Amino acid sequence: MSEMEIIAQTVLLSLTVAALYAAVASGLTLEFGVTRIVNFAHGEFVMLGAFTTYFLYTKFGVPPLIGMIVAALAMGALSYLVFRGFLCRVIKQDEHNQILATLGLSILLLNLAIIWWSPDARSMNAPQLLPTLRFGGITIPGNNVLLLVVGGLLYAALSAFMNLTRYGVQLRLASDDPELAVYSGIDVDSMFALSFVIGGMTAGLAGGLVAETLYVQPSIGVDFVVRAFAIVALGGLGSIPGALLGAALLSEAEGLTSTFAPHGGSWGYGVAFLALVIVLLIRPTGLFGREMRS
Amino acid sequence: MRSWGARIAIYLLVLAVGGGVAYVNEPFWVQLLIGILISVILSLAWDILSRTGQVSLGSAAFFGIGAYATGLLAPETGTMLAWIGAIVICAAVAVLLGFLTLRLRKMYFAIATLGLTLSLQVCVLLFSDWTGGSGGMMPPLLMDGDPQWQLVAITGFVLLAVVLSDYFLSSRVRPALFMLRTNPGLAAASGVPVVRTRVLVFTVSGILAGIAGACYGGLYGYVVPTDVFTLNWSVLPLAIVILGGMDTTLGPLLGAFLLRALEEVARYYIGGVGYQVVYGAVIILFVLLMPGGIVGLIRGLRAEVAA
Repeated sequence: MSEMEIIAQTVLLSLTVAALYAAVASGLTLEFGVTRIVNFAHGEFVMLGAFTTYFLYTKFGVPPLIGMIVAALAMGALSYLVFRGFLCRVIKQDEHNQILATLGLSILLLNLAIIWWSPDARSMNAPQLLPTLRFGGITIPGNNVLLLVVGGLLYAALSAFMNLTRYGVQLRLASDDPELAVYSGIDVDSMFALSFVIGGMTAGLAGGLVAETLYVQPSIGVDFVVRAFAIVALGGLGSIPGALLGAALLSEAEGLTSTFAPHGGSWGYGVAFLALVIVLLIRPTGLFGREMRS
Repeated sequence: MRSWGARIAIYLLVLAVGGGVAYVNEPFWVQLLIGILISVILSLAWDILSRTGQVSLGSAAFFGIGAYATGLLAPETGTMLAWIGAIVICAAVAVLLGFLTLRLRKMYFAIATLGLTLSLQVCVLLFSDWTGGSGGMMPPLLMDGDPQWQLVAITGFVLLAVVLSDYFLSSRVRPALFMLRTNPGLAAASGVPVVRTRVLVFTVSGILAGIAGACYGGLYGYVVPTDVFTLNWSVLPLAIVILGGMDTTLGPLLGAFLLRALEEVARYYIGGVGYQVVYGAVIILFVLLMPGGIVGLIRGLRAEVAA
């Protein structure tokens, strides 16, 4: 492969990874935008979604694509229960307690997964769902194409929901100005719950993608949520288009350093945080974040 | 603020427990207490910082810097100077970060400090010629590796942390910190030097966490990056402080002992991995049901008795 082809391949592969990152980050940023709660447990929903897809496939032979959808629905339902049973009680409390509550949930779910399923990584060994693409010297494996397709569909669905449906408009109003939303007769509490249901569904679907294309392990939640934090902070907490752009920036930065920088492979999410720190120094509310209301 | 009597009672209790166990010198209890006391130092460091409204996930970063800085400096300077150097390095990093994170609001602060921890782990691996990479490195032994005297030294550091914590709860400083937490604008308008106070508190907290890390590294004189720059050390103080009671000195002390007891119970029933499930359960239950922690419960009971 020529130098140009290596660069092109790296850029393209990173772009497919960006679709996965964006799927994780968009749910996180939606939950935050509406409820102002930073859900540190979002990654654990991704992890549980991955395990759902994994067990459905390995134990019951459910095709991964169906497994992903089941995972999305299951995580949406679980998110709803968690919100109604637990998080809605801290929503009126100090930010301090909200951060602690979701962190506690994250630690709890992570360790339950470790107890139930051991901390080891396992692979689903599912066949690739889409054919590998080749143009010239550039190869894009089918799994990466899958990330791009499913991630793209998810993003399109989410945008359509937010912009075209009644609930989406209500969600956006509840996010922009909850007081005005209340006066307009919107049931803000339901909107809060809805944002968690959608956030949980995106996390479950993203988890299914992870199970199909990477590996399944209790700690993947942390891996992804850490990157999602960097992404939403880059794009501005609460902004879904910002999450998409942040995901693209981050995955390109990661892909290019791991291919071209010396010892690039060991950088991992070091890149994410380098980028994050620089952005936060220049703009404390992220690249596209609005001034935060108190 | 508690009376001088209550404060001195805590100091004496710390001395009595630390000194007593060191005097009896039963290896099992010495090791157990050393572990608990290191987490007390780390938790007090976290609590002091949280009083200004900054929820930090960066305890592990300073913990690791403390362990690694003593290890890097000791071959050049000797143990004593290495410890002083490590404290200076922790202070310098904290001052720098204190200024950098000054403008960050709560969630952004938590995320940025989380990032700091993870980035440092990457740095240790990247500069492996210097840090030993994943193979780890050898910080100087604390008290030449004699557990009895290690316990005495660590008890001394706990006392330092307790005194500092009490200072930040004294009637002169406490209102300024809590005002910074609830309403920074009002704090500035009331004449609280916002920048100076925030950076000072961040620095004190960073130094204490660094000391905890240096103690930990000095126990066996060997650390690996996954041992110190791990989120466990950022999460542990959270669970301890919530359990014991935030914004108090006694809370982290009680919380550390109780969490360790819960951990042992969980380890007995669950086995090696996953015992941290108790951290999560403790945090959730206490945030929901008893936001004041044990100390809050005791205060509530006392108020009821008095009424």
